[in-house]
Amino acid sequence: STKSSSVDESEISHFNALAASWWDPNGSSRILHAMNPIRQDFIKRCRSLYPPPGYSHQSKLHYLDIGCGGGIFAESAARLRDTASVTAIDPSPEVLAVAKQHARRDPLLLEPGRLTYLNTSIEGLAETLEAQGVVQQDRQYDIVTLFEVLEHVAYPSSFLEKMLPYVKPGGWLVLSTISRTWPAWFVTKFMAEEVLKMVPRGTHEWEKYVKPDELRQWFRKLDGQGEEELGRLGRWSEPVVMEVMYVPGLGWREVGGGGKGIEGLGNYFFGVRRE
Amino acid sequence: MHRSSLLRLGRITKVWSRSQAPRIESCRGYATESSQSHHDLYDVVCVGGGPAGLSLLAGLRASPVTSRLKVALIEGQDIQSSQAKFDISAPFSNRCSSLTPTSVSHLKEIGAWSSVEEKRVQPYQEMQVWDGVSGASINFDWASPAQGIIQPPDSTGTIAYMIENNNLTRALSQRLTSFEDITLFSPARVDSINLGEDLHDFNMQSWPIVTLNSGQKLAARLLIGADGANSPVRNFAGMVSRGWDYNRHGVVATLAMNDAGWGGEEHKIAYQRFLPTGPIALLPLPGNAASLVWSTTPERATRLKGLKAEDFVAMVNAAFRLDPVELTYLHSLEEGQVKEVNWRESQHSADEMRIPKRVTAVQPGTVANFPLKMRHADTYTGERVALIGDAAHTIHPLAGQGLNQGQGDAASLVRAIKAAVEHGADIGSQEALDAYNRDRWAANNLLLGVVDKLHKLYQFESGPIVPLRSFGLSAVNRLPALKKFLMKSATGAA
Repeated sequence: STKSSSVDESEISHFNALAASWWDPNGSSRILHAMNPIRQDFIKRCRSLYPPPGYSHQSKLHYLDIGCGGGIFAESAARLRDTASVTAIDPSPEVLAVAKQHARRDPLLLEPGRLTYLNTSIEGLAETLEAQGVVQQDRQYDIVTLFEVLEHVAYPSSFLEKMLPYVKPGGWLVLSTISRTWPAWFVTKFMAEEVLKMVPRGTHEWEKYVKPDELRQWFRKLDGQGEEELGRLGRWSEPVVMEVMYVPGLGWREVGGGGKGIEGLGNYFFGVRRE
Repeated sequence: MHRSSLLRLGRITKVWSRSQAPRIESCRGYATESSQSHHDLYDVVCVGGGPAGLSLLAGLRASPVTSRLKVALIEGQDIQSSQAKFDISAPFSNRCSSLTPTSVSHLKEIGAWSSVEEKRVQPYQEMQVWDGVSGASINFDWASPAQGIIQPPDSTGTIAYMIENNNLTRALSQRLTSFEDITLFSPARVDSINLGEDLHDFNMQSWPIVTLNSGQKLAARLLIGADGANSPVRNFAGMVSRGWDYNRHGVVATLAMNDAGWGGEEHKIAYQRFLPTGPIALLPLPGNAASLVWSTTPERATRLKGLKAEDFVAMVNAAFRLDPVELTYLHSLEEGQVKEVNWRESQHSADEMRIPKRVTAVQPGTVANFPLKMRHADTYTGERVALIGDAAHTIHPLAGQGLNQGQGDAASLVRAIKAAVEHGADIGSQEALDAYNRDRWAANNLLLGVVDKLHKLYQFESGPIVPLRSFGLSAVNRLPALKKFLMKSATGAA
């Protein structure tokens, strides 16, 4: 079943309030900024596992960043040498305005087509792209990213389904989120929000956390669909999983073995390749 | 390779309208272009073409990750003229520095060491340091049996390399100009630095705009202050530099010794004697030459500079042989130190082998002095600004570390910029530059502090500090592990 909107209004207003401090390196988004290099490293790791078939060595990548927020990842992807374009979407107009304002500080990002911000949810994306004049075949991307978004989505299953068609065959879906475990509750909710106040209160709702195994099984279930669904939603590889933890003073560090069946301590990265 | 076509001296294509905009390379990396600003945009603008600035830019060019960044160097002196081949047999300059093996490794990595005139570089393998009041001494020698089975950092057992500053600068600038597309403004002066404006599309409010004396303007994604102790870049950025003056001057000179030293050509020895007024150091140069660095009071420095050559030479020899009281007397004479020293020395029996050989002459015109001070900037980085070298810190020369700190800064900043480029970060952002600040500030602060304390420690001519420090020095001399640690730290090894 599909729900009509992935957008949770209370979540949006929470992030609107954070908009102004998004790019303040010493503000409450500090931890998010520190995470960005790890995101880049994880994407590199995923891509290195599968030499791209049918892609020439020189071809550049098209990114779709969903829930881009103030554009921390979107900007960094847009600056990479092998990036062709970054399309970044967010349903919150205030936060998107911050993203656009910040992008104006770097002339590289102002190059036509390099970084495009669209104020839309995933449901409205197709229509928005149409309005932008993006043809059907360009509505699939090499790398679709969803960083620190899934834990804020009311219905993750239908949300993910809506994302899958946007991944090009041979491309990657890369997301990061928090696992629903007692350690995660302790670290991200109790310590980070209440005790250490490193993250604004109300940023996370533990009930919404998704475990890596739940994601793994969800993707596996897709294999059992009918032909038509498979064509739309695709067949997916075994996922790449990386657990990370924030250590004050040192930054984000990889933890655990990333093997199968892990419960997860807290934050993790999850990457799957569309075959 | 045609140097002249690669060095666009002071001439940059101005970008005035879209149609005139320089074409962006198809395989571009990171270079920034703007079709609507009246400035030339650069990824890195380095103010200052000394060893630190040159090393930084050469390091950026030498690494494939950062080699496509658009960089510019602004230097007050004419770099091209300094590249003229200099006479190998010319007398040695009085501005020499001691390069640690770590610095030399770094220079090799960026491909600059091969341009150094090696015949004018003197590696040394031993260092003799002693207390001028008590005579307590410490000897650093990788080859000495007292060190036991401790392994030296490299197979040659070299502690450090004495090099003339202009030899190093020349090698670095040759390496830098061997790269394509380095924009050089030399000679050129910085007239002013201001932040840009919020233009129609491009918000330049965080971008520093450097205006040269020629009127030319450069906008920098990252502005590097490698512009010395009075750094205009540091002032522009509003960064505070704290410290104090030592009320001491460093007297330098190029000296001729009576031969190549106690260890001969293959085993050169550096000497440093801590007098209450400041340390006197004799650093070996190729052949029979040596470099003098004598830190002393301003009054004594003036006296030394005013002496006749033979009296000056006598004073240097005396400073390594006589005791502080006698030296005080000798400093009070306007001339005639030669006779006095001869007579006094005959009354002494010094263990000749533990002190430098005799100085026989001083190179005319090489006696100079400069005030000594300690300065440290509160931070090395700000938005779109970073400081390296003397702009960031000034140190007492007694440990021979100043130049090496600058090289270490340059290497660290290159690493931070590399990491930023690899992760798509804006190289001028605080997050990108923080890594450099974290890496270098504390390390430099520690070194500045230690050197400062050493200076203060050895000022005591009497009292309980003297036997204490002598005991300390002797103790270190007798503890192989501690001594090895100090030696390794001094070589700059992490």
